[in-house]
Amino acid sequence: MNTLTKMALVLIPTLTLSLTATAHDPKLHAKKAEKADCSKMDHSKMDMKDPVAMAMMKKCMKQAKKAKATKAEMDHSKMKMKKSLKKESEHH
Amino acid sequence: MSKIKLLIVAVVLACSAALTVVYSGIVNVAADEPHGDLVYWLLEQTRENSIKKAAKDIDVPDLTNPELLLTGGVDYEFMCSSCHLAPGQKQSDMSVGLYPAPPNLTLVAEGHKGHEHGDEAQSARKHFWVIKHGIKASGMPAWGKTHDDDRIWAMVAFLKRLPTLTKEEYQILTAID
Repeated sequence: MNTLTKMALVLIPTLTLSLTATAHDPKLHAKKAEKADCSKMDHSKMDMKDPVAMAMMKKCMKQAKKAKATKAEMDHSKMKMKKSLKKESEHH
Repeated sequence: MSKIKLLIVAVVLACSAALTVVYSGIVNVAADEPHGDLVYWLLEQTRENSIKKAAKDIDVPDLTNPELLLTGGVDYEFMCSSCHLAPGQKQSDMSVGLYPAPPNLTLVAEGHKGHEHGDEAQSARKHFWVIKHGIKASGMPAWGKTHDDDRIWAMVAFLKRLPTLTKEEYQILTAID
C-alpha cells in the first residue's frame, strides 16, 4: 500500500465525518411563527373549488384585511417626527 | 405427574431466563442501534394490529371543510413537522435520531414502507387514533391529553392533503394569522 492510498484511507473518512458534523444548521432548532407569504400564490393555477385553494384564499384575505386595519389605525398627525424630536431635545 | 413437573421446570427456567435478561443489562436500548429483523417485525406487527383494532369503530367526519386545513396546518407545523417533516424537507434532527424513525408524512401512502394504509376512511381513523393516543416507546405523544377531538380531526384533514402540497402552499396554510 503506497503513501497516497494510506493518506486517502485516513483523509476521506475524516473529511466526510467532519463535513457531516459541520453541516448541522443550528437554525433548524428555532421555530419562528411566520406570516403567510401570499405573494407566491398563483391564482391562474388555482382550482377555486379545491379546499386547499379555498383555505389559502381565506388566510390571505384575512391577513390583508388585518394589515389594512392596522394601517388605518395609524394616525400620522399624532406621530412625532424626527425633526420635532430633535427640537425637543434641544430645549432640554 | 412427571408432565406437570416438566412443565413447572420449563416455566421456572423461562422465568429465570427472562429475569436474567432484564437484570443483566445485556439488552442494548440505544436508539442508534437498530432492532434485529425479527424483533422489528414483531414490534411492527403488534403496533399495526393494535391500532387497526382500536381504531376500527371510529366515525370519520367530513374532512373537506377548508377551515380544517387552516387549524390543522398550524398545529401540524408546530407539533408534528419537526419529526414528520414539511414539503421539500428530506430530514431533521428528530427524523434522523428517533428510533423507530417517524414516517415522512409529506410522502404519499405508498412511500411509507412496511405496512398497509387501507382506504381513505381507514387511513383517517388510524391517523386520528395515533394522534389522540400516541404510541408507547416510540416518541409519538398522546395529543388527546391536551387537544380536543375537533382539533385532532383538523390535523387528520391536513395530513390527508399534505403529500399534495407545494412548499408555498404549505407555508401559507401553516403560517399563523
